[in-house]
Amino acid sequence: MPRLPSEQEPSTFETNRLRTFGLFGVCGAGAVLLQTSVFYHLPFVPDLLLILCVYLGIYHGALAGAASAFFLGYVLDSCSGAPVGIWTFTMSLVFTTTKLLSQSLLMHNPLSVFGLVACAVFLKAVTSLALLETHWALALIWPFFTHYVLWDLLLALLLTPPIFALLATGERAVARA
Amino acid sequence: MREVLHRYRLFLSCGFFLFVSLLLATINARSPYRMDPTGVLFLEVMQPLQVGVTALTQGTRKMLGQYRDLLSVHQTNKVLRARLESLEQIQERLVELELSNQRLELLLGLRAQSSGTPIAARVIGRNPGTWTHTAVLDKGERHGIQKGMAVLTPAGVVGQVVSVGPHASHLLLISAANSGVDALVQRSRVSGIVSGAIVGNCQLKYVQRDSDVEVGDVIITSGLDGVFPKGQQIGRVTRVATRHDEMFQDVEVVLSAELAKIEEVLVVAPAAIRAGAEHLRNE
Repeated sequence: MPRLPSEQEPSTFETNRLRTFGLFGVCGAGAVLLQTSVFYHLPFVPDLLLILCVYLGIYHGALAGAASAFFLGYVLDSCSGAPVGIWTFTMSLVFTTTKLLSQSLLMHNPLSVFGLVACAVFLKAVTSLALLETHWALALIWPFFTHYVLWDLLLALLLTPPIFALLATGERAVARA
Repeated sequence: MREVLHRYRLFLSCGFFLFVSLLLATINARSPYRMDPTGVLFLEVMQPLQVGVTALTQGTRKMLGQYRDLLSVHQTNKVLRARLESLEQIQERLVELELSNQRLELLLGLRAQSSGTPIAARVIGRNPGTWTHTAVLDKGERHGIQKGMAVLTPAGVVGQVVSVGPHASHLLLISAANSGVDALVQRSRVSGIVSGAIVGNCQLKYVQRDSDVEVGDVIITSGLDGVFPKGQQIGRVTRVATRHDEMFQDVEVVLSAELAKIEEVLVVAPAAIRAGAEHLRNE
């Protein structure tokens, strides 16, 4: 797991803030591209943006992280064709929850990270279902859970370690530059 | 104020973005039109990237698909090759059976023409050496074959049985230097002895200098040796030479039967035995 930004020196962190924001912008755009143009052939598309959002919630500050999560959700809304605000709200909510939980939990072990990712997947599923299918939310929850959430959870748990490692490597490279 | 903002920055920033996003969702849910002021910009920025990535993905998928097809074609090719080999083997067997059938039909025709009871036999062995002109037949004493019997094919005379075992027999080919068949030139009825030579083709021996023999003349058995039935074709004259100091002509004969290729033969009892058997039957 990467070092927390809070563990870095404050001056270095402030200097690299803009670059890190750029890095997440590029990563977000790359994730959207992968989800919309590459993974759509697969039976289940992994939600890379959600993992990115959890990473932001665990390792980044409140304002920058919340803005990034909002931005990522907005990009996803624009590209997915869903009513604007659905993914924006979902990502913001996921970030907020992750941030609050990560402040309460000891986040230096992989199990906690997996727990947070699982929590984010459930939260995203319930929120998007509630916002998209308000009237049918309760009736659809079980088939939605069995056909979608379980696969989403499995893929998110499988992809979390490599994505976290890639993001941490990218951040270290940005910090060194 | 600044301290308060800093202390509650998490709740304030998250609350702000949650509120804005919920507001966006609510407005869009109520509006019949999509309210996405900057979405078009994102779409425009992402469009070339998406086109590029999609082209790359589709290219990769196409390439993988072609590779899969290639593997499938390779597999099909292997199966078809195996099938082709099997069919070729079957065809070869059919051709072989057809040829065998033709040979046996000819042999049956010859058997019908021959007097007595000819015995059909198969050649199962060849010359053991360069200087020997023999073959082994798959029939022997138990099948009625006796020493001295004539061996024929539809193409012509092959040789004579020289030794007999219970289940197999040895045949001395007409091309052997120590063989001899009493023969006639079919056209002029000039007689001689057809015998093998150590080098080259067979010879028609003992043909007098003034005898009428020409290249192309057909040589047949005379039946006078008491072994071969009369009128069986032996071969054709290919060279005639007369030397002033020699009493006889040199007549070279090419045999009608291709001795190197014979597979089935008919073994016929010598004329003397046949005559004795017929005499016994008549009595």
